Amino acid sequence: MMWLYHPLQIPLGLIVWGMWFIALYSGLSVGCAVAPPDATAGPWNWLNIVLGGASLATVALLLGLSALCWRASRRVGQNERAKRFIARVGASVHLVAALATLFIALPIVGLPPCV
Amino acid sequence: MIDGRPDELHQQFEEVWGNPRGWRAATIVNHTRIGLLFLLTGLGFFIFGGLLAMLIRAQLALPDQTFMDADTYNQVFTMHGTVMMFLFAVPMMEGLAVYLIPKMLGARDLVFPRLSALGYWCYLFGGLILAASLFLELAPDAGWFMYTPLSSLPYSPGVNSDFWLLGITFVEISAVTAAVELVVAILRARAPGMTLQRMPLYAWYILTMAMMIVLGFPPLILGSILLELERAAGMAFFDVARGGDPILWQHLFWLFGHPEVYIIFLPAAGLVSTMLPVFARRPIVGYRWVVVAVLTTGFISFALWVHHMFTVGIPHLAQAFFSAASMLVAIPTGVQVFSWLATLWLGRPVYHVPMLWLFGFLVIFVAGGLTGVMLALVPFNWQVHDTQFVVAHLHYVLVGGMFFPLVAAVYYWLPHFSGRMPSARLGRWGFWLVFGGFNLTFLVMHWTGLLGMPRRAYTYAPGLGWDVPNLVSSIGSFIMAIGIATVLVDVLLHFRFGVRASPNPWHADTLEWATRLPPAAYNFISLPNVDSRYPLWDHPELAKKMARGEQGLAAIAHGRRETWGTDAVNGEVREIIHLPGNTWLPFAVALVLSVVCIGLLVKAYAVASFATVVAAILVLRWSWENGAHEESGTTVPFSAGDPPLHWRTHDGPGRWGMGVTLLADGALYAALLFGWFYLWTVAPQWQVPAQSPLDARAMLANVLLLTVATLWLRRVLAALRRGSDRRLRGQLAMIAALGVLQSAHLLWLMHASGLAPKATAHDAVIAVVLGYALFHCGLAGIATGLQAWRVHYGFVDRAAPYEPIVLGQLWYFNLGVVWSAYVALVLFPATWGGG
Repeated sequence: MMWLYHPLQIPLGLIVWGMWFIALYSGLSVGCAVAPPDATAGPWNWLNIVLGGASLATVALLLGLSALCWRASRRVGQNERAKRFIARVGASVHLVAALATLFIALPIVGLPPCV
Repeated sequence: MIDGRPDELHQQFEEVWGNPRGWRAATIVNHTRIGLLFLLTGLGFFIFGGLLAMLIRAQLALPDQTFMDADTYNQVFTMHGTVMMFLFAVPMMEGLAVYLIPKMLGARDLVFPRLSALGYWCYLFGGLILAASLFLELAPDAGWFMYTPLSSLPYSPGVNSDFWLLGITFVEISAVTAAVELVVAILRARAPGMTLQRMPLYAWYILTMAMMIVLGFPPLILGSILLELERAAGMAFFDVARGGDPILWQHLFWLFGHPEVYIIFLPAAGLVSTMLPVFARRPIVGYRWVVVAVLTTGFISFALWVHHMFTVGIPHLAQAFFSAASMLVAIPTGVQVFSWLATLWLGRPVYHVPMLWLFGFLVIFVAGGLTGVMLALVPFNWQVHDTQFVVAHLHYVLVGGMFFPLVAAVYYWLPHFSGRMPSARLGRWGFWLVFGGFNLTFLVMHWTGLLGMPRRAYTYAPGLGWDVPNLVSSIGSFIMAIGIATVLVDVLLHFRFGVRASPNPWHADTLEWATRLPPAAYNFISLPNVDSRYPLWDHPELAKKMARGEQGLAAIAHGRRETWGTDAVNGEVREIIHLPGNTWLPFAVALVLSVVCIGLLVKAYAVASFATVVAAILVLRWSWENGAHEESGTTVPFSAGDPPLHWRTHDGPGRWGMGVTLLADGALYAALLFGWFYLWTVAPQWQVPAQSPLDARAMLANVLLLTVATLWLRRVLAALRRGSDRRLRGQLAMIAALGVLQSAHLLWLMHASGLAPKATAHDAVIAVVLGYALFHCGLAGIATGLQAWRVHYGFVDRAAPYEPIVLGQLWYFNLGVVWSAYVALVLFPATWGGG
C-alpha cells in the first residue's frame, strides 16, 4: 500500500474530480449534439442517467480512496510524519473532491439536459 | 561546515555571487535582483494603469462629457484592464515569489536563474511594446478580453488588436517561465529537512499558483496565436462563414481568465497567511486545512469559466454545473478566512501598519466574495451582465484580494529592500485614504450597475439616475489615488529617514529573515538544516549560525554557485545544484524576441524570420553552456564525500523543469484539440470535405517513424542509466537524423495535403496541429544532434548522463502529440462521419 503515501495522493482526488468535470461537460455537449433527448421528458432520460451514473461512480471512487488514505494515515509510525501528512491531506482532498462532485452533479436530477 | 568570520566569508561569496554594476547589470541572473526588477517594473506599470483609471473616472464623473472621444476611451479602458491584469498583478505576484521563495526555502537561488532573467526581460520588452501603442494612438480597443468578432479584422482593421495579441503572448513567456522555475524550486531546492509538511504556507500557495499558470495560461496563448493567424494570415478559426465560431475565443479566453483571478488572489492570500501569524504571534490555525483549501481553490477555479458566458446561450443544465462550481469555490476560500480569524482570535495580535492593510483586505475581499456568489446565480448574472455591477465586483475581488495584501507585504518586507523600517504615521494616512476612497468608488458602483449602467459606455445622458453615483465614484477614485501617492511617498521617504532595521525586526518565523538586511546576492553563507515548520521561532540562533558558516554547503573556494537539491517529499539531500553565473544570453534572447514581435506587428516578415533564426541560435548557445562546459565553472573538482553535482545524476532539476514545461506545452496542445472537437460539435457552419485532405497512410508512416526513433532513444537512455555510454555519439546522431527525417516527411505531408486554411476552419485547425507537431519534432531532432556533438566534446557521457535523459521527455511528449494528432485528424473523422 505504499502508493497511498505517494505525494501524488495530495492532488489525486482533485485530478479525478477535474477529469470527471471535463467528461460531464463534454459528455453533455456531445450528447446534446448527437442525440438530444426529448425536452418534454424532463430530467429522466438516457443522457441524464448516463451523466448521473458516471457521477455516482466517481463519488464512490473518491470516497473509497479517501477511506483508504485515512486508514493508511493511522498505520504510520510516530517518526514518519511526512507519510502521515501525505495520507491525511490525500484523504481530505479525496473527500472534498467527492463532495464537490456530488454538489455539482445535483442539477442532473432536476433539469433536462439540452434546453 | 566552515567556521569563520561572517564578513570574511561574505567577501569570498561576493567574489562568486556579486552583481556587476553599470551596463553589465543586464547580465545579472540572481533571483534577488530579478525579483526586485519585477517589482519595480510592476510598480511602473501600476502607476501607468492607475493614471488610465483616473482618465476613465474623469470622463465618467459627469454626463455628456467630451473629455475623451469614444475611440480614445475604448483604448484607455482596454489598456487599463490589460495593464493591470497582465503587466501589474501577475508579474508583481510572481516577482515577489521569485524574490521570496528561495530565501524562505533556505536556498541560494532559484534553480534556473537564466530562465528567471529571460522572463523578466520578456516582461519588460513586451510591456513596453504594449504600452507604446497608447502613445502611438494605436492601442488595443476591444476590451481586455478581446472578444471576437469585435477584435477580428473586419471590425478592428488597424494594428490595435495585434498589439494586444503579440504583446500579451510575449509577456506570457515571462509568466510561464517564472511558474516553471517556481514549481521546480519549491519541489527540489528546499533546505535539508524541510519536508512537505514543514514548508512555509506561502510555498504551498505559490506552488498552486505556479501550477495554475502552467495549465491556465496556455489556452490564452493558443487563442492569441489563432486570432493573430486569422488576422495576419487570413486563416479561419473564429469566422462563422468559414466554419469557425467566435464563441471558441470566449472559451479559450475564460479557460485562462477565470483561473487568472485565483492566480492573482492565491499568492496574495499566501502573503496574508505568512504575515498574519507573525503579528498574531502564534502559528496559523489549521495548517493542513489551509493546504487542502488552497489546492481545492486552485482546482475548482478551473471549472468556473463558463459563468462569464451565461448569456451566450448554453443549455440550462450546463449553466447549473458552472453555477454550482462557482458557488462551491467560496467554501475553500472561506476555510482560509476562518483560519485567519481563528489565528487572530487565539493569538496575541500586535498592530503595525501591515496589519491595517490586512484588515482592509479581509473586509473588502469578503465583500467581493459575496458578490461573487451572487454572480454565480444564473438569473442574477443575466440581470447584471455587462453592467457596472460586474466592474465593481471584480475590483472588490482583485483590489481587495491582491492590492491590499500586496501593500501589506511591501510594508512588511521593506526592511529587506532597504534595511530600514517604515513610518507608522504616513502609512496610516495612506491606508485610510485608500480604504475610504476605494469603498466610495466601488461600493457606489454596485448601485450604478443595478441602476442599469452598462460597462464600457464612454458617456451617458443626464437624468438616467447615474449622475450622482458616477460623480461619487469619481471623487472616491481621486481620494484613493491620493492615498496611493501617500503610500509611495512614505516608501520613498523611508529610504532616507527610516529607522535602521534590526535583524528579524518583526520576530518572524520564516527563513528569509535569516539573511542580511538588505540581503546579499547569495542569500546565506551556509544553508540550514530544518527540523521545524517555524525555524526562526524554534531556533532563534539559527541566523547567526548560518552567517558564521556553521551550517551546510559553506565552501566557496571552488568558485561555483551552488545550492542543495533535495528530495521533493522528505527534504533529504540528493545532489548539489550547480547554478549558472551571470550572462548576456537571457537579455539578448529577449531583445531579439522583441524584434520578432515588432517585425510581426509591422508585417516585416523577413525581419521577423531573420530574428527568429538569431533567437534560435542564441537559445542553442544557451543550452551549450551547461553541465561540464567550462563556461559554467566546473573546472575545479568538488570535494570527495559531497553529493554529486546535479548534471552527474539522472534526476536533477532540469528533468523536473522539462516535465513542468511539457505540462504547459501539453495544456496548449490539449486546448488546440479542444478547439478541434468543439468546432466539429457546435460550430454553426462547420464544413467537412468529402475526402480528408490528409493521406492516412502517409500520416501513419510518419507516426511509426517517430515511434521507432523514440524507442531507440529509450534503449540508449536505459543503457546510459546502467552506466554504459558505448557508441553513444553515433546512436544519438542516428536518432537525430531519424528525427529530422520524420520532420521533413511531416513538412512534405503538410504541403502535399493541399490544405486550404484560409478557406475553412477545418483545414486551418489541421494546419496548426501539424505545424505544432512539426515544430516539436524538429526541435527534438536538432537538440538530439546537439547532444551527439556534446558527447564528442566530452560534455556528455556515463559520468554526465543528465542531458539526454532530460531531452528524452520531449521525445515521449512528441510521440503522444503525433499519435493523438493521428487519432484526432485521421481516425476520428473517419468514424464520426466526414473526411
